[in-house]
Amino acid sequence: MINAGRIWDTWGVTALLLLLLLCTPVIAPGFLDIENLQSVLRESAYVGIVAVGMTFAIASGAFDLSVGGQLALTSVVTLMAFNGGGTAAAVAAAITTGLLCGLVNAGLITQLRVPPFVATLGSLFVFRGIAYLLTQDGPKTLPYEQIEAPFAKIGSLDVAGLPVPFLIMVAVFGAGWVLLRRTAIGRRTLAYGSSPSAARFCGISDTTIRVFVFGLVGLTVGIAALTYITRVWTADGSAQDGFELKVIAAVVLGGTALKGGKGTLIGTFSAVFLVSVLNEVLVSRGVESAYQRIVLGCVLIVALTVDGLRTRFAAPGSFRRASRPTS
Amino acid sequence: MRTKKIASVALLGILALSACSDSGEPAADQKITVGFSVYDMQYEFFQKMAKGTQDAAAAKGWEVKLHDEKSDENEMVTGASALIDQGVDLLIISPFKPTALGPIIAKAKAENVPVIVNDIGGGGTPYDAIVISDNAGGGKLAAEFMDKQIQANGSASKNVASITCEPSATYAARRNAGFKEEIEARGYTVVAELSGNSKAEEGYKVMKDILAKNPDVAGVFSCNDPMGVAAANAIKDAGKSPVTDVVSVGFNADPEALTAIKGDLLAATVAQDPAAMGGLTVTLGEQALNKQPIQFSNAAEREVFNPVTLVDKTNVASIG
Repeated sequence: MINAGRIWDTWGVTALLLLLLLCTPVIAPGFLDIENLQSVLRESAYVGIVAVGMTFAIASGAFDLSVGGQLALTSVVTLMAFNGGGTAAAVAAAITTGLLCGLVNAGLITQLRVPPFVATLGSLFVFRGIAYLLTQDGPKTLPYEQIEAPFAKIGSLDVAGLPVPFLIMVAVFGAGWVLLRRTAIGRRTLAYGSSPSAARFCGISDTTIRVFVFGLVGLTVGIAALTYITRVWTADGSAQDGFELKVIAAVVLGGTALKGGKGTLIGTFSAVFLVSVLNEVLVSRGVESAYQRIVLGCVLIVALTVDGLRTRFAAPGSFRRASRPTS
Repeated sequence: MRTKKIASVALLGILALSACSDSGEPAADQKITVGFSVYDMQYEFFQKMAKGTQDAAAAKGWEVKLHDEKSDENEMVTGASALIDQGVDLLIISPFKPTALGPIIAKAKAENVPVIVNDIGGGGTPYDAIVISDNAGGGKLAAEFMDKQIQANGSASKNVASITCEPSATYAARRNAGFKEEIEARGYTVVAELSGNSKAEEGYKVMKDILAKNPDVAGVFSCNDPMGVAAANAIKDAGKSPVTDVVSVGFNADPEALTAIKGDLLAATVAQDPAAMGGLTVTLGEQALNKQPIQFSNAAEREVFNPVTLVDKTNVASIG
């Protein structure tokens, strides 16, 4: 029973994803076409990349609500850098801006003692506001004349049949897995999320964890912005409104505990695709967008209800189990 | 183990629900398939545009694949690219973000698929043609109506005002330009031309200022209906009639404007015809497919104008 529960924590969403994929030939003919699969992998990448950072944040017991604002601002700055200095400038600008946004959040939380939820809610508006300011005279764009620039190709290129944004996402997940499972800072993040006060007694510093976690979220936003902007070629202050909720939904659906202390990147990975595959299936069946939202909301609620039931009925020992990393 | 079952059953249930709305698979032969990526199907304007596109394509025996961008540039690029992947012969797109047309047009060019843009904007990309309402013509219709109504009112003043949308809305600016040209040709003077940034509250404020500085103004044209109705309210609040004292004309035939016209709270508006615009994109698409030259209204930007109609109290019942 305990083993089944542990396996479910990590692999449950993956099992659901596989089940859904097995059903697609019947419920969504054409879904398994190569081009369609490539499209799903390509469009899920930017959500997945930020979901890696968000898994760390939630596992440490904090939300980062500002990722949508960070993505809009980073995308705008990246396009400005590209138009001014080409591909190298754009990549540098994306990483730097994302990282800076994350460090601003960390600063608000550690220096001004603002709770993460409130600090990132505030910075969400500030980041978006700056993005709006920078695009007052129209959205920033990747001009059509730049169609052959290496930067413009990032979003559309395939390597061995796999879209480049997806490969970047896989690399970010791989690095995240090593960080979470194989490094001291990853272990400390989980310990801190499990019980901040106990972690403090063990000599884990609040500041270190916050700077690490929010810096990491910012970094993933920077990388995600590169895959996003090279697919869509335009950005302004309104870009990806509601992005934070998409990312948080994927992380939570994946099995990372909202209370902190437990994080599963395998679950997050599968949940990102569970949402996008389900969405694709609904679209291909001609379901109206209003119903698509309702179905996705219901899946999230059902998944969390099931998780709640499991925790309630699980055998003793679940408390200890919940405090261990599960991926 | 039990939980796994619960989750699977729940998910299957949801999928079964979505599977209920089954529709027959169209027979796959060589007939032309057109992909239409639409801005957002929640809006009546785009529902009519989609209907017009589908009807025109059906009349030619074409198949239409509809894609809803849901007011999201990411969905716009993903879905429109997917239509090209699915092998459509022609892409019609009403873009949520014209500046995001780049990657779509690039893909279409690579696959040799002509692209007709319907409304909103072309984003500086090499599309084949763009259909937009005849905005300047609409402004001209507004001026003709205003002249007639001012004469019917017996007003001695030849002073009128014009309220514009935000400066970045280049197509909308043509409405005020068309209005100004025609009304001046009819011997009037545009004493005030101010921006209300497309917003009702700003339109109201701007109209109050105009009335304070030019109390004899005999008519006002607004670039959109929210501002048109707001300006008319400002006139009413100043104790004047928006029909018989200061002739107020809006643009777009929004439901609020139609209601206002019925209640004498607005003199007229100009209606776009999204269904006809949809039909026009299909016609132009066929010409592009057959490599026939397209008759542009404005060749420099590859624009084709769709006619608009004036709506006043005499025909408001037949609109909407």
